Amino acid sequence: MLPLEGIRVLDLSQIMAGPFCAMVLADLGADVIKIEKPNGGDDSRQMGPFVNGESVCYFQINRNKRGVCLNLKSAEGLELFYELVKTADILIENFRPGVTKSLKIDYETLHEINPGLVYGSISGYGQTGPYAHKGGFDLIAQGMTGLMAMTGYPDKPPAKAGVAVYDIGAGLTAAYGILAAYIQKQRTGIGQHVDVSLAESGLPWYAWEAAAYFGAGELPKRTGSRHRVSAPYQAYRTRDGYVVLGCANQRNWEKFCRQVVNRPEWLDDPRFRTNSDRARHADDLEVLIEEVFGTQDSAHWLERCEAAGVPAGPIYTLDDVVRDPHYLARDMVVEVEHPVIGRMKMFGIPTKYSEEQPTVRRAAPLLGQHTDEVLSELGVGADRLQALRDRGVIR
Amino acid sequence: MLPLDGVKILDMTQFLAGPYCTMVLADMGAEVTKIERFPSGDDSRRLAPFVNGESYCAAIPNRNKKSLALDLKHPRGKEVFFRLAERADVIIENFRPGTTRKLGVDYDAVKAVNPDIIYCSISGFGQTGPLAHQGGFDIIAQGFTGLMRMTGEPGGRPAKVGIAIADLAAGNAAAQGILAAYVHRLRTGKGQYLETSLVDAVLAWTVWESGAYFGGGELPEATGTRHRRSTPYQAYRTQDGYVTVGAGNQRLWERFCRQVIERPEWIEDPRFLDLGLRMRHIDTLEREIEAITVQRPTAYWVAKLDEAGVPGGPVYRYDEVLAHPHVQAREMVVELDHPIMGRMRSLGLPVKFQGTPLSIRTPGPWLGQHTTETLREAGYSAEEIQALYDQGVVYDKYPDRHAGA
Repeated sequence: MLPLEGIRVLDLSQIMAGPFCAMVLADLGADVIKIEKPNGGDDSRQMGPFVNGESVCYFQINRNKRGVCLNLKSAEGLELFYELVKTADILIENFRPGVTKSLKIDYETLHEINPGLVYGSISGYGQTGPYAHKGGFDLIAQGMTGLMAMTGYPDKPPAKAGVAVYDIGAGLTAAYGILAAYIQKQRTGIGQHVDVSLAESGLPWYAWEAAAYFGAGELPKRTGSRHRVSAPYQAYRTRDGYVVLGCANQRNWEKFCRQVVNRPEWLDDPRFRTNSDRARHADDLEVLIEEVFGTQDSAHWLERCEAAGVPAGPIYTLDDVVRDPHYLARDMVVEVEHPVIGRMKMFGIPTKYSEEQPTVRRAAPLLGQHTDEVLSELGVGADRLQALRDRGVIR
Repeated sequence: MLPLDGVKILDMTQFLAGPYCTMVLADMGAEVTKIERFPSGDDSRRLAPFVNGESYCAAIPNRNKKSLALDLKHPRGKEVFFRLAERADVIIENFRPGTTRKLGVDYDAVKAVNPDIIYCSISGFGQTGPLAHQGGFDIIAQGFTGLMRMTGEPGGRPAKVGIAIADLAAGNAAAQGILAAYVHRLRTGKGQYLETSLVDAVLAWTVWESGAYFGGGELPEATGTRHRRSTPYQAYRTQDGYVTVGAGNQRLWERFCRQVIERPEWIEDPRFLDLGLRMRHIDTLEREIEAITVQRPTAYWVAKLDEAGVPGGPVYRYDEVLAHPHVQAREMVVELDHPIMGRMRSLGLPVKFQGTPLSIRTPGPWLGQHTTETLREAGYSAEEIQALYDQGVVYDKYPDRHAGA
């Protein structure tokens, strides 16, 4: 039995933050019913690349869900939705604040229908505060939380994190918040509204940065690939590319000098005596290390680091990732059969359980693929399904 | 009542991935007891800045927790551990794989005294697979997952995300995994072992990138601030800095042209007719937009974007973020009193529960602040506790600083 088996989730969200949250719950065994609007469904269905007309982006993040296509703006569609709400434990939405109220699917309305419902909202800035009304995407949040100002090289413009960290971060923050609220509901019978925003989800991630700022007034700068207070802890150029080195402590630094680069004299260099000395002279250190590293390929240095027990690693492209035996052994690259796309690959589930291991049980749904199945479970008969379809309430 | 009131967690983690996970659980009401070696404690206690000798770094992710300073290598220390483990719901550790077995505090050992325990491990590469034995820090995971190749300027040196995102990804994966396992236990009575790694957790975040790679063979490159599949969706230079614009879909693009940048003719421009064309001419579009945005300061553009309802905003420095009225209104910066450090600031809670509002109940503990309290609650008598201190099994860094002591 999977951890969340039998728990029903209604997923009204689209694009990324909400769908990622719902995917996490679906992976863990929940029965996630994704409800999409008739004109095109989730906006991410328009994002390429496409295989046989189906978006592979949509596919990655909507696996393990069932898809229902329902027009919430029609009275009949809304009635059917309320019927589904009565059967649900959890709801996830990421509309702009205010939209759920105008659709009559806001927390207060649904709480009347199902007091046990845990209602998770994800938005750009949250349901309250002066910016609540604004739309917010990952990029805007990366800019407004200071992350962009601390990513990239000091002499270059700000850069964003290479993946949508705040969409995903908000999705995960909502996932743990919703699970905690569900645990509470198991004990009290009462659900509640859980409000998460993109911008805020990233703020508590600034553990060290917050400490330096609140404790000493220091602003985190852009450091390229460098650590803020440790060295050598960055990417170094080799003859054929780059490797990352993580010598955050004295023991690893000594092993590195003696056994990896064979420069024991660096240990006596006054610039490099302690971790903070090295961080202060990271420029000098970079020149010296790259002089040595430039004489051999990355593979050579990684082997030497491994033999010496010094934390180091390659800088992979996704090509390298999907071939690496470690990821393969950890089931991080999985294949699944999609009704239109055919056999397709995706990244697996990052948490491993000793009881039944969650897997990718089904491909992402086609638009409305499970409309009939889900509504039949509510007792809607074939004739009525046809009538609803004719009137454009479902698809 | 907080959502996780009454859930007892033993936390054997240090630095960031594990402590972030247990912070999240503690924030939601779980009783988290942090087990630390002594006299040094969690390695993050050595990170500057210090106030009155206490690390600000350690204080931030360890709020709402208790600290028990305990020598796990001492036979009596192990006895204390197992007495606590018998009463615990969840145990979390982030040692290098193999270490808990060596210490005799691994899942099998705990399961023998508490069959329903939920036991979670976080490590660099995971407990299985050819690299399980390797130490993995955040930067190693950012390199190993391809993330460093996707971050920074195209063609430049690899850059990492400005914060320890791999640590945080693993901490988040563990938090949701533990809660799911707890839900499972509520329904079946069965505990279990679960584990995640920094590299697995980051990889699971490469959602669009994996779609484009598996579906179209595209390798994600570093793009500065640009989106890979959408434009205008990036930071543009202004007179005094940068402004972000997220106008990726047709409706927002049209509003952007008409109401923000005031170039309605671009809507009909054959180079920019749809998203595909705009992506093809992304360099030209950037030049043309920046030729306009550099004429005015960021604040002007932010106001225009807001009026037009087009998502966008400034690229703040960290101090600007934390002083922002919205961030303040959402209580994302909180002040609290630390018994040693005095008045301190910390970051607030990112999940708002309408039914049971969360708060920071206690600041990060000093090393061993709750040693006596924890032992007392576990049923040790005053004499037994004194004996444990005398034998060097447990520790309290400031025994004289307890209120009423």
